[in-house]
Amino acid sequence: MAETHQDSGGGGDIDLSQFYQIFFEEAGENLDLMETMLLNLNLETADDEELNGIFRCAHSVKGGAATFGFADVAELTHKMESLLDRLRRHELQPNAAMVDVLLESADASRSLLARHQTGDTSPAAPTGDLVMRIADLAAGNAPPPPVAKPVAAVVAAKPATPVVAGQRQLEIKVGPLAKPEQADAIAELFRDIPGLGTIQALSSDRKDYRVFAVDTASTDDDLLDLFTFHVAREQIEIRPAAVMTPVPVAPVEDASHGFFDGAPGAPEIATAPAAVEAGFGFFDGAPGAPVSAPEVSVVPVVEVQGVAKTVAKAAASQAAQPEAATIRVAISKVDQLINLVGELVITQAMLAQNSRALDPAVYQQLLTGLADLDRNTRDLQESVMSIRMIPMSIVFSRFPRMLRDLAGKLGKKVDFVTQGEATELDKGLVEKITDPLTHLVRNSCDHGIEMPADRLAAGKPETGTITLSASHQGGSIVIEVRDDGKGLSREKILKKAKERGMDVSDQMSDADVWGLIFAPGFSTADVVTDVSGRGVGMDVVKRNIAALNGTVEIDSAEGFGMRVAVRLPLTLAIMDGMSVGVGDEVYILPLSSVVESFQVKSDAVSTVGQGSQLVKVRDEYMPVIELEKVFQVPRFDFDKNSDIMVVVEADGSRVVLLVDELLGQQQVVVKNLESNYRKVPNVSGATILGDGKVALILDTGALVRRSRH
Amino acid sequence: MGMMEKMDELSATGAREYLTFRLDQEEYGIDILKVQEIRGYEPPTRVANAPNFIKGVVNLRGTIVPIVDMRLKFNCAKADYDSFTVVIILNLRHRIVGIVVDSVSDVMELPPEALKAAPDIESVIDSGAVMGLGSLGERMLILLDIERLMSAPDMGLVSSGE
Repeated sequence: MAETHQDSGGGGDIDLSQFYQIFFEEAGENLDLMETMLLNLNLETADDEELNGIFRCAHSVKGGAATFGFADVAELTHKMESLLDRLRRHELQPNAAMVDVLLESADASRSLLARHQTGDTSPAAPTGDLVMRIADLAAGNAPPPPVAKPVAAVVAAKPATPVVAGQRQLEIKVGPLAKPEQADAIAELFRDIPGLGTIQALSSDRKDYRVFAVDTASTDDDLLDLFTFHVAREQIEIRPAAVMTPVPVAPVEDASHGFFDGAPGAPEIATAPAAVEAGFGFFDGAPGAPVSAPEVSVVPVVEVQGVAKTVAKAAASQAAQPEAATIRVAISKVDQLINLVGELVITQAMLAQNSRALDPAVYQQLLTGLADLDRNTRDLQESVMSIRMIPMSIVFSRFPRMLRDLAGKLGKKVDFVTQGEATELDKGLVEKITDPLTHLVRNSCDHGIEMPADRLAAGKPETGTITLSASHQGGSIVIEVRDDGKGLSREKILKKAKERGMDVSDQMSDADVWGLIFAPGFSTADVVTDVSGRGVGMDVVKRNIAALNGTVEIDSAEGFGMRVAVRLPLTLAIMDGMSVGVGDEVYILPLSSVVESFQVKSDAVSTVGQGSQLVKVRDEYMPVIELEKVFQVPRFDFDKNSDIMVVVEADGSRVVLLVDELLGQQQVVVKNLESNYRKVPNVSGATILGDGKVALILDTGALVRRSRH
Repeated sequence: MGMMEKMDELSATGAREYLTFRLDQEEYGIDILKVQEIRGYEPPTRVANAPNFIKGVVNLRGTIVPIVDMRLKFNCAKADYDSFTVVIILNLRHRIVGIVVDSVSDVMELPPEALKAAPDIESVIDSGAVMGLGSLGERMLILLDIERLMSAPDMGLVSSGE
């Protein structure tokens, strides 16, 4: 996977590999930021904002790493996140040991990332020790003892373990169950999911229990996630199959810092249903870290190979900084560049105009120079503009693979549909909406779409659908994530909000209730997975989109699905426009809404009730809007009049605009009129024409609506 | 009535520099720190349904900037556009606005003692927008609180409710 990023020319992996670079850069920035914040963190007075900030950095890196399949990075950051999560919930008081271990983990993540980036295949610096120490701290224990102890244990254990790295033999006990047959579905899971491992039913001493011997590389957490589709978490007990493993049991337990013998604050998932319940509602200060604790218990066997602390450090320093193939530049610099080039083009046009009268025989050199200038400025303008324009398909193509993996992991069936991939979007926006969109799509898959069985029971097709669409609407670009899953539950959200002590009432409107899920740390997910459920998602989404002056709207019907619409302003957007002339003025119509145009015959227009005009176009009567009247265009030349009709479509209905002439089509950079002025009716924005003049862009949606009233 | 407070504020900060410009026969001064640049007049793009003193919008190096003709706003007898007509580009709290004036005369420093409170008189200018009068020998300078003037609702530059 890491190798393919250089080979972006072809292959099946191209869709993802083209984003590796972006991910590596983003992850690097996030780790740097986290380091800075950690270093500046005042342990006694750490406020929520700082802790949330650090947490979000870890969360972003984890999300990206999971998407791109860098499991080692994802695992490490997942652990960091777990610790940080407890810190920001004030379940733990930050201390220097935590900062140390987090900084080391950041270093280790960096070196792991560098390995993926360079395609280095040599063995990675082991992170097991770090993972363990983080889990220890997260469990509320004192700073960990020197690393010697676990290492010794593992060294003893290692030669005796003839298993493939990562493979573990487990004994899984399910029950008590009213219908023990339920548990047989677990065996089916192993048949259906390739690579999960093997399962064998063992005899059980009690009728309402089922016992299985399992050979797998998955973590307890993953297994539990899978099993909970069929049986409740509390009813599952996972423990290493002591009989089948030649590993001496005692050292392993030792190495795991006593997670198995019920250390305080480290609830063993198998025997502590209460702790698991605490995990369901993780707002009420669960006393342990149910996510990390059981998983960690297996780590020492597989991963700790040496003195991780020093090795990780060495690896970090030795990792050659791979040269960046791209540079990330502030949008403002690109904007400035584009504006300056625009000015240059105008100056060039002016020079060309003024030199037209010159005698070519006398000014030959000057004219040649001007011709060169003309060509160069155009090339320059084209190159500069191309820096920013990207079709949405670039963003969308990131999701099919991610969804496929995610759906597979969750055991769900999901179809992914994209619409409006050709909608071009400014690169600056693309970069910034990718993360929020990833969150939204993951949410849809994880929380929205139900399990196939549940869907069938609800009378829906087994396969859920997630739709991602992009379109220009009025003065904005709207990106929608829709799913036909279970939708949001009003009661559940209100209940959670009350538990959190938020100011809510049962009389709140739906829109207000949906708005609650944007609060930091809010999640109604019953289970924290490494996919989502910690409640960071939506507040980050909202924050990122608000930073782009955009808005997020949620629409949901319980049982039928959910729609999240991200509306971004056109400030940076570029669109295809058709310029039309009315009187002496030029207006731009969004080409996407233009259906056709034709010369009008005077007898084609009829009036209704002395006012509104209608024109018959192929058996259909359409309202006529005279732009001259709508925009009060002054007329100086009375010979000219509007006799060209342009049919435009918006919101599903059509109107005819009456204009003087069609001037041409061009790509225009949409400028916001409202940043220095106010909103103008029927106008969605403005753009700058080739001659430097401003032209207004018509809001076809508003014009269509106007004709209805 | 607020005027005295304003004067106090002015005197407290000491001498300030003002850009002075002419509208017909009157001379006005505005805080130089609010001025971004001065340009020649170029015909703007008309915007429908705008008051007559908003001439339209122009392209200022890629930014769309509304242009207000102060002569029309203050009901001057004539508002010609010739080679002397200039546009003062103002930067007011991150909003950029251009104002058309007959000519720009000077940048001058006014010590606090040269400032007088404006008498309460009837005028097209909202009295709150006049910070005071400056006397320079024979000349009288009307000092405008340009930010307040431009953000007033009757300027129509900002959407209501903003």
